[in-house]
Amino acid sequence: MRKEGIVATTLIPEMVSLDSLFAFCRETAQDPEFTVAKRWLAEHPGKKAIGCFPIYCPVELIHASGMLPLGIIGAGNQIEITFADARFQSFVCSIVKSTLELGLTNRLKFLEGMLFHSICDPARNLSSVFERNFPDLLVEYIHFPQNFASPLARQYLATEYRRILDSLAQRSGHRPTPDDLNYSIELYNRIRARLREIYQIRTETPHLLSAAESFVLTRAGTLMAPEDFLKLLDRAVVDLPRRPIRPKDRIRVVLEGSFCELPPVGLIETLEEAGCYILDDDFLRGWRWFTEDVPLQENPLAALAESYSERAYYSGTKHDSREAKAAHLIRLAKEKKADAVVFQAAKFCEPALFDYALYRKALEDAKIPHLLLEFEEKTWSFDRARSEAETFVESLLFD
Amino acid sequence: MTYGGGVDVGSTQTKAIILSEDRKIVGRALINTGANVSMAAERAFREAIHSAGIASDSIAYVVGTGYGRYKVNFGNAQITEISCHARGANFLFPKTRTVIDMGGQDAKGIRVGEQGDVKDFVMNDKCAAGTGRFLSNAAETVGLSLDKIGPISLEAKKPVRLSTVCAVFVESDIMSYLAEGKTVPDILGGVHSAIAARTVALVRRVGIEPEVAFTGGVSRNIGMVKALEEKLGLPVNVCDDSHFIGAIGAAIFALERALGSDASERSGKRGQAAAPASSPTAR
Amino acid sequence: MAQGTAKTDYQGRIHNLQKDMIGRYYSRLTAAAENKGEKAIYMLISGNPVELIEAFDMIPVYPEVNALQLAVKKQSLPLILAAEEMGYSTDNCAYVKADIGMYFAGRKTPFATIPEPDLILCNYVGCNVYLQWFEHLKEYSKAPIYNLDVPFFRTRSEDPSEEDVHYVVKQLEELIEILERMSGKKLDYQKLQHIVELSGETGALWSEIKRLARQRPTPFDAYFDSVMMMAPLYCLRGTEDGLWFFQEAYKEMKQRADNREGPLSEEKFRVVMEGPPPWPYLRQFRDMFSRWGAVAVASTYSTVGGIWEFGFRHDPQHPLESIARHMLQWNLTNRNFLQRYRQIKEYVDDWAADALVIHSVKSCRLFSAGQGDMREYFTKQLNVPTLLIESDLEDPRYFSEAQLRNRVDAFFEALEHQRMLVKS
Repeated sequence: MRKEGIVATTLIPEMVSLDSLFAFCRETAQDPEFTVAKRWLAEHPGKKAIGCFPIYCPVELIHASGMLPLGIIGAGNQIEITFADARFQSFVCSIVKSTLELGLTNRLKFLEGMLFHSICDPARNLSSVFERNFPDLLVEYIHFPQNFASPLARQYLATEYRRILDSLAQRSGHRPTPDDLNYSIELYNRIRARLREIYQIRTETPHLLSAAESFVLTRAGTLMAPEDFLKLLDRAVVDLPRRPIRPKDRIRVVLEGSFCELPPVGLIETLEEAGCYILDDDFLRGWRWFTEDVPLQENPLAALAESYSERAYYSGTKHDSREAKAAHLIRLAKEKKADAVVFQAAKFCEPALFDYALYRKALEDAKIPHLLLEFEEKTWSFDRARSEAETFVESLLFD
Repeated sequence: MTYGGGVDVGSTQTKAIILSEDRKIVGRALINTGANVSMAAERAFREAIHSAGIASDSIAYVVGTGYGRYKVNFGNAQITEISCHARGANFLFPKTRTVIDMGGQDAKGIRVGEQGDVKDFVMNDKCAAGTGRFLSNAAETVGLSLDKIGPISLEAKKPVRLSTVCAVFVESDIMSYLAEGKTVPDILGGVHSAIAARTVALVRRVGIEPEVAFTGGVSRNIGMVKALEEKLGLPVNVCDDSHFIGAIGAAIFALERALGSDASERSGKRGQAAAPASSPTAR
Repeated sequence: MAQGTAKTDYQGRIHNLQKDMIGRYYSRLTAAAENKGEKAIYMLISGNPVELIEAFDMIPVYPEVNALQLAVKKQSLPLILAAEEMGYSTDNCAYVKADIGMYFAGRKTPFATIPEPDLILCNYVGCNVYLQWFEHLKEYSKAPIYNLDVPFFRTRSEDPSEEDVHYVVKQLEELIEILERMSGKKLDYQKLQHIVELSGETGALWSEIKRLARQRPTPFDAYFDSVMMMAPLYCLRGTEDGLWFFQEAYKEMKQRADNREGPLSEEKFRVVMEGPPPWPYLRQFRDMFSRWGAVAVASTYSTVGGIWEFGFRHDPQHPLESIARHMLQWNLTNRNFLQRYRQIKEYVDDWAADALVIHSVKSCRLFSAGQGDMREYFTKQLNVPTLLIESDLEDPRYFSEAQLRNRVDAFFEALEHQRMLVKS
């Protein structure tokens, strides 16, 4: 995979429109059967796939080991939960249950393994439940350090990454060299750079690209080979500035809180239709973790470990106590010249709901209006959300 | 002839059953519980005796069950409705291995052994999702009586997907769909399907094994029966006496104790107050 | 059949002893709050380096214990509501809410005035809420914080890796530097060794007490009575007082064991209890089990502060390393969910239990998330009768007595019935 150069993609013909590109992404994003990924695996016999549960997964480790990293991020509103409800209680977030349901309904049999890490207690217990119920699956758990004040943390993370590589090698049969790792880092750097460009387009010209579109684009990218995704991104970045869409009269908001469980696309569209330009968000934060390129060094694991804390966007589950939790949000809102903040947390999401208590005070002190919305991935009707959002927009417009 | 009596005091209705020694139901009664629970228990019992046409002192043993079981002042013992439902279902359908009970306010799943003994159970009594309350709210919202919504739900061509399982919010969901122009059968189909799915997910916790008995007030709803069968992939057993299964189970326990086949309760006497029953006898 | 309400608690000498000792501990807290006492270090009870704190003559403050006490004294609800008004969610852990509410209500409780922290020491041992709780306290109090990052026990090996141990020991050394700066003194290594030895002996006694519960009848309820012994274990571990308490406790329990005395008139069912208790309703909850003659012979909640019954001892010859191992491996919260299954299985087997009772609490997802899978494992794979019930550990609004009683009754009814069937 690595040494052959970019793989030709048959996913999308040359002259197709942006609209059909986004339609393809939307379909892929909502597919609980992983069709695109499975097709790729069928076309590359012998290749294996590793699933990554939110939030941040060092995908380069998987890719350099010769395997395909895939985002296993719940089942959205596409499947019914019949088995997982018996294992996890009603006060646990939906993504834990729907991800388990994917496993219990044999939809994850094509995976070689799953990677989890510490984001919250339910996710941590989920990794154990996976281990017990799917004995053929390689289940690994990464301990990301939580004391950024100490240089020990970074060294530790590099050794943790080495341990994960050893574990992955059991299944891939390939222990990557530093060159392999740097190759993968470079590839994902390019993908992330494109995504940053796309988010920049949203900030500067939000009418050209909706949050729903960039969301399905990013999500589709977690469900296909990175080489193919890069082609899509290259295409999008070229065509977007030429889109014939006029700006509308909407308020400018930044959105945070949806870093793990994925909101239904319809909910994002509802927010936008209610009168918001969402200039920035933390959807799929883990796959857009770095603010700039990870440097290519002799010791790629050290580079990745250092970048985890020093070149990363804010995430509530990376408990970096070097500044107040809400500081980044206030900065972001001001930088993007946002009129307001939307805090959109998944129901029962402990980390998000804890953060909100601190954000609320900080936003009030900074006199930035905000709206708190709780959502669930398993929703098909968005009337209530529309009313709340419209009321909020009106309150700002009629001020 | 020895008789056993079972009184099932639920939150909305109280049921009583009189069982003869040869295990025939000879008397029954069904009344609204109302505010005075102990009076309701007494009244239901009296009416059941009356319908049996026997003398009240020929009833050797009475078991109270249901939420109001401690208010059955004239009872000899109190047994939970889980145990009684298991026995009752086993009595009506001897091959029962799983009981799905859906009442007005709660839903239960019970795994049952060959002798009607409880192997495992699970209850949803924290919220009204998946209970009769959900259905009656839905019925009211579409302007139909409860007994009609079942058959109409079977006419659904494209059942809607409900985005909530909350018995309160189901109303606004249904109103949205009506406003969108969805048909009443499609809406009701979706309502029944959602409850069935939720109930089956609940019962899976104890494991689902054939044969499955469906009990409780909601089991008289043919739409619910079909929806459950569809989700289970198995037939479910229902009967006209489904309301009475708890009381039947209680009466069976009563009969067994009266006839001495349950060693621990031989010494029970009628008329003792509502305190938990007599201490175990030496064995 | 259910017995009449039995006398359910044990009010012996150690009950009064622990009241005195904890009372003294709380007086020290109040003194610290009034600037007349020691420096106050906020910490969490599960897997912590309290030995270091004591070596520097500082006092550990445990927000978890304070929250728990508030619930027991039925004072938690107004504080929880105050926190919710501030923006905390109904779905956030109620321990945290009660504590934050108490913080903003002047830190005054019926049992002590809680001092402001001089250092917030977040010993991150598995519970992710710990991290959030303490970072919030840091923002409110503006006190310095140190996240002591203990790698989660995430592999299938018997012991944590050398890298993990090394990482924790190095952080303990960083912590020592911080404490030296705060106190103006160097660490007295021998004093630390002595304190670690006290911890080791205390842990050994606690483990012996727990082993007594293997007997029939068990001399004490290993859930409801353990609660009484946990407070000295958490607040006084590493002190002479703490050791003395456990020496007395062991003597008393051994005597009861020798006299074959149990907490109930008749022990009919032996259960393992998993999960924290509903603190606001401890008495009612206990009665639900006592009426069936059900006694706990082991519990997982009583191992939150440390697991010594499987052979671990704090080692004065290797103080920092054994403190590190205690935090990495020998407490409940830093262990993974499957390890808890094994722990419970060992209790069921070696303590001869008839059943497992899982008390699922809404607040604590570390304990509770996924207990349905635990239940499935024990009932389907191991054939251990298992009851799963739900309420909360701190918030009184989530306790539904009638419904809980119904489930407990149905469960023991069925167990009793199964026993009869087996006999006949």
